[in-house]
Amino acid sequence: MKRGWITWDESELPRAAFEKRLNALARHLAERDLPAVAIYTDVWRSNRVRYFSNFMPYWNRALLVVPRAGGGAGQPVLLCALSPRVYPWIRAVTVLEDIRSSPNLAKAIEQLAAERGWKGIGVLDLPRLPSDIQFSGGLEITDVSFPHIADEWELAMYRKAAQMARQGLSEELPQAIGRRDHELTARLEKRFRRAGAEDLVILLTNGRAVPAPPRGEILDKDFSVSLALEYRGHWVKIARSASARDPFPFRIHVENLSGPYPYEPATRLESPAIMSLRFESQAAGLRLFHGDTYYSSDQGLELL
Amino acid sequence: MLNHHRLGQLTELLKEHSWDILVLYGHTWRKDFFRCLINANFSGPHAAAVLDRSGQIRVLVADPWDAELLSAAGLAASAYADLAADLGHLVSGKVAVAGLEFMERQFIPEGIAAPESATGAVEELRRVKTPEEIACIRQAAELADCGYRHFAETAERGMAEYELVAEVEAFLKARGAEDNFQLIASGGTEVTGMKPPTGRKFRDGDSITTELTPRVNGYWAQICRTLVMGEPSAAQRESFAIFAEARKAAEDFLRPGVNIADVARVQNDVFRKHGYGEYTGPQYTRVRGHGLGLHCDENPWILEDVNYTVKEGMVLIAHPNTYLPLAGYMVFGDSLLVTANGCAPLNHTERKLFQK
Repeated sequence: MKRGWITWDESELPRAAFEKRLNALARHLAERDLPAVAIYTDVWRSNRVRYFSNFMPYWNRALLVVPRAGGGAGQPVLLCALSPRVYPWIRAVTVLEDIRSSPNLAKAIEQLAAERGWKGIGVLDLPRLPSDIQFSGGLEITDVSFPHIADEWELAMYRKAAQMARQGLSEELPQAIGRRDHELTARLEKRFRRAGAEDLVILLTNGRAVPAPPRGEILDKDFSVSLALEYRGHWVKIARSASARDPFPFRIHVENLSGPYPYEPATRLESPAIMSLRFESQAAGLRLFHGDTYYSSDQGLELL
Repeated sequence: MLNHHRLGQLTELLKEHSWDILVLYGHTWRKDFFRCLINANFSGPHAAAVLDRSGQIRVLVADPWDAELLSAAGLAASAYADLAADLGHLVSGKVAVAGLEFMERQFIPEGIAAPESATGAVEELRRVKTPEEIACIRQAAELADCGYRHFAETAERGMAEYELVAEVEAFLKARGAEDNFQLIASGGTEVTGMKPPTGRKFRDGDSITTELTPRVNGYWAQICRTLVMGEPSAAQRESFAIFAEARKAAEDFLRPGVNIADVARVQNDVFRKHGYGEYTGPQYTRVRGHGLGLHCDENPWILEDVNYTVKEGMVLIAHPNTYLPLAGYMVFGDSLLVTANGCAPLNHTERKLFQK
């Protein structure tokens, strides 16, 4: 759950990046002859809305509505279940200006459509919308899919997050042998949150099972850690083992990090997408885990 | 891992409502409905426990690592490739889903009648905690006390909000917290609410408010306190005295049989008495407290327009947190266990305006 520093540094992610993304989305809407698209977000599903606006809810949920205007995107509107008391903060950390208090998201979108004269609207990944968001029927709802386009800004942010995670693990792992898993977890939390990470999910194992949340075990010399780290809304997953043994890889798990969720198991490599590959190896009867985050495109896999 | 008390209650619920199947759905933000039966901290993003009338449970999870850990614990668990398809094979007849409202539309299996929502009925069962659940919440409350002590000891002039949160997060994780929901704010009368930490650095005269909510074995407890950097001003003291009176009014009043709306009213009446009634509405505050348990913001919310009869065994926080023009946003509150004759605080941190 996010309780780290949610911010927007325009020197690493300029306003132009969001304008370009919003305009690309608007062109897609023009091809579909749709006046606007709504994108859902909540505490754990912020990838898509973050990409277009830098908004990441720390609580509650929202719909980002991107209208089409002229040859590009109009001013995006955030229909937001959070209190208006935090809208100045939202404006300070996002590209958003028009934020509307919306305890009932379906009703809010219907009101906005009526206000703008829209007879229909697109919803990004409609089948993935929470089932309680039910439209009354007066508005034509169209399922819209839009690929995750990892532009150079996006890739740069992922690279930064992955580099931060890899470097931190390489420095912390050797010192953690003989310490409790809670202690390593605490060291990683402090290190990465002080460096600006918003959220971490840490799983550990001594090699007799798959990685799991810490449970007070002493870490032995063959332990592995799986770290999911969110930096400025960009999630990466890195796994490393402290073991010096020569492992024999025998299993790979693939996860998509650029869908609606921070990470979600996938059955195959998707493209274009940010993917995590989790490799499981065996050595002396122990299970060792190693993994990284990649950009998957028609050019192949690029380690981020 | 299996909550046997809830299993008994849930199988009774199936019979009571003539449901053939009850699905307890959870995702990474809202694990609570799944964890009320299978208390496993799954990685996610999704998990579903499928319960039939005989008490048989089958578990479907997104992550193969979760499936392996749950199977090792003796549960019939598997990783799904397509949740709707796998649920479709497991459910038939009259199906109810707890957590239906936040389940993705595409997860609802085709070929069955539209499932009913079991969310309200399961929430009602969960409101009264079992002795084991109360033990977990007590541990979380103790951790909240230690965490706040660390917060107050670590805060210093020139430190950024996010740096302090990082220190507290590490402190809690080192002591076994699974998670921690924390909001913070710092400054003066310009502060109208709490939010995630920013890069703002603490200065003399700041009110530093925090809502600190560690989770132990799935269960959350919360503490709310305000700390002043330096000697509190007369306005900060006057403001805090109102919050202290409101908190005490809630705790003196809370007992089985009272309407939760009146727990809000007695707090708001204190603000009204002091001429600050307008600051008890949604423009300045959200709720006057809420339930605690497997979700950190459980129903019933303590609001004057929410009617619910309080029961023994519920765990709530009563917090009169709001904005006042005297000294800006302030917070104050403890986790409370409703006992036979009243309520007992689960936090033991000093009830004062902290200063540094």
